[in-house]
Amino acid sequence: MLRFEQVNLSYGDQKILDNISFQVEDGQFAVFIGPSGCGKTTTLKMINRLIQPDSGHIYLDEKDIATVDRYELRRHIGYVIQQIGLFPNMTVAQNICVVPKLLKWPKDQCEQTVRQLLDMVGLPYEQYAHKYPSEMSGGQQQRIGILRALAASPPVVLMDEPFSALDPMTRRSLQLEMKNLQQKLNKTIIFVTHDMDEALDLADVIIFMDHGQIVQIAPPEEMLDNPATDQVRAFLGMHHSGPSPADLTVSHFMRTGIVTVNQNRGINECVSRMQHHNVDTLLVVDEYRHYQGTVSIADIRLTGHVVKTIGPLVRNTTPVVHTGDNAKECFDQLISSGFPYLVVLNDDQTVAGIVTKTSMASAMAEQLWG
Amino acid sequence: MHDLLLEILRQTAIHTGYTLVCVAVGFVVGVSLGIGLSRLPRLSRYLLPLLSILNTVPGIVFIGMLVIWIGMQPATVIIALSIYAMFPVLKNTVTGLNGVDEQYKEAARGCGMNQVQSLLQVELPLAMPTIIGGLRLSTVYTVSWAVLAAMIGQHGLGDFVYRGVSSNNNELILQGAIPAALLALLLGGLVDLLQRHVVPRGLRKGGGDR
Repeated sequence: MLRFEQVNLSYGDQKILDNISFQVEDGQFAVFIGPSGCGKTTTLKMINRLIQPDSGHIYLDEKDIATVDRYELRRHIGYVIQQIGLFPNMTVAQNICVVPKLLKWPKDQCEQTVRQLLDMVGLPYEQYAHKYPSEMSGGQQQRIGILRALAASPPVVLMDEPFSALDPMTRRSLQLEMKNLQQKLNKTIIFVTHDMDEALDLADVIIFMDHGQIVQIAPPEEMLDNPATDQVRAFLGMHHSGPSPADLTVSHFMRTGIVTVNQNRGINECVSRMQHHNVDTLLVVDEYRHYQGTVSIADIRLTGHVVKTIGPLVRNTTPVVHTGDNAKECFDQLISSGFPYLVVLNDDQTVAGIVTKTSMASAMAEQLWG
Repeated sequence: MHDLLLEILRQTAIHTGYTLVCVAVGFVVGVSLGIGLSRLPRLSRYLLPLLSILNTVPGIVFIGMLVIWIGMQPATVIIALSIYAMFPVLKNTVTGLNGVDEQYKEAARGCGMNQVQSLLQVELPLAMPTIIGGLRLSTVYTVSWAVLAAMIGQHGLGDFVYRGVSSNNNELILQGAIPAALLALLLGGLVDLLQRHVVPRGLRKGGGDR
């Protein structure tokens, strides 16, 4: 059993952890989640004493970890990090055996362990044991990272966003594998993530943190049914109930910071601005920054020699939408219009941004994977 | 002709001896100091630039000063050259160790390695390509610096060079210069060979995933 009792930590004036108390039962899969900077990773790193609290106590199996030798403590707690951190100078087998070697296990027992563990995740010993990390894919590397954490069969394993650097497919299969492993081996897992889907899938209990405080501790179902605060609801909502994709507006997905040019400007300035920003079209505005239309390099090339300013070349054919418009309708319009982008205007007719097919793709990806 | 060849071989042997001893001493001291300095970033911020300045003092000046202090003897040569041989190794050791990616140090700590274990099992192996790079530099430099030994009558290939310079005899200069150049090539090649043995396979392909 893992228990935090009134743990505090500050860096200077900044309160990192504010009187944290909680408890995780043996064999539980506990997932810490919250916005970045909420203290979840700090909390995790206190368990193996990578970070020391200013005050308070942390008990592992009723023993205050501050009284345990910190190297000895870490050797009995598995640790998996986001960057994987397999030692590139060691083979897979050597990486897995780092902790058993530190614990001075006999050689054949180490060997035995490597075989067993590789077998468990379906990586044949003959094929993988003597490979180096650089010869493997990211997903395979993190599998080995997990095995390294499990090698000395620690009762507790800490995982700090272990899958967030992996592609969605690999992440999914590793999540399933992890859940299986945990149930098979009956480990206590302390898992940090910022991905609510991952938390909901894996956790026996979710611990939601914000500003160094625990906002809610609950099993996934209970958290879905009864989010303690609006913030928790928002976190759940991004992935589940809450605002459905159909309610999203253009302003969520448009590209901002678009280059505009005043209609009184000269041809040369316009061309050099296009060159500088590497675009072939500029949005034209008047002196009140109201949108007037677009000017393209093709038009400038065709008739640019007869006019002085870009005013006469401005076209007004590109479809225009407003920031409050429904995102899905805008995407439909983008597809059917055949234009490469739509111009998005604020209510006062100033330019807010543009919507391209790329912004559409990323919006859809966000809905799918969060 | 036979005598000349024998003489060249004899001086080459002395020259090689100086080089090997000085590089060995310089390597050990350089790596040790480098490890120390990499643990003390605040000290190394001031000390490293200072050492670079010392490094620019011409060897001839330094040996001259040492002669005043401890006289004309082999120890003078060895002390001076060892110090010079140390600089590239020291600098590369600090660079190599500081360049070890934080993720590996954190993983090492998280696995329960203490400082020494992390250094020996993770940080030094990962810094090894850079450290050996420093060794290569210092080996090649030391071969050329060892010519200075002759200046204070301690022989080596510099003998030919100095005699040649003072008697305006190009042949004599080449008798010293050519073996010295060959020696530098040979020893550099040996270091490259060593590099292949001490750098782990996982690091060789362009530094693996670092």
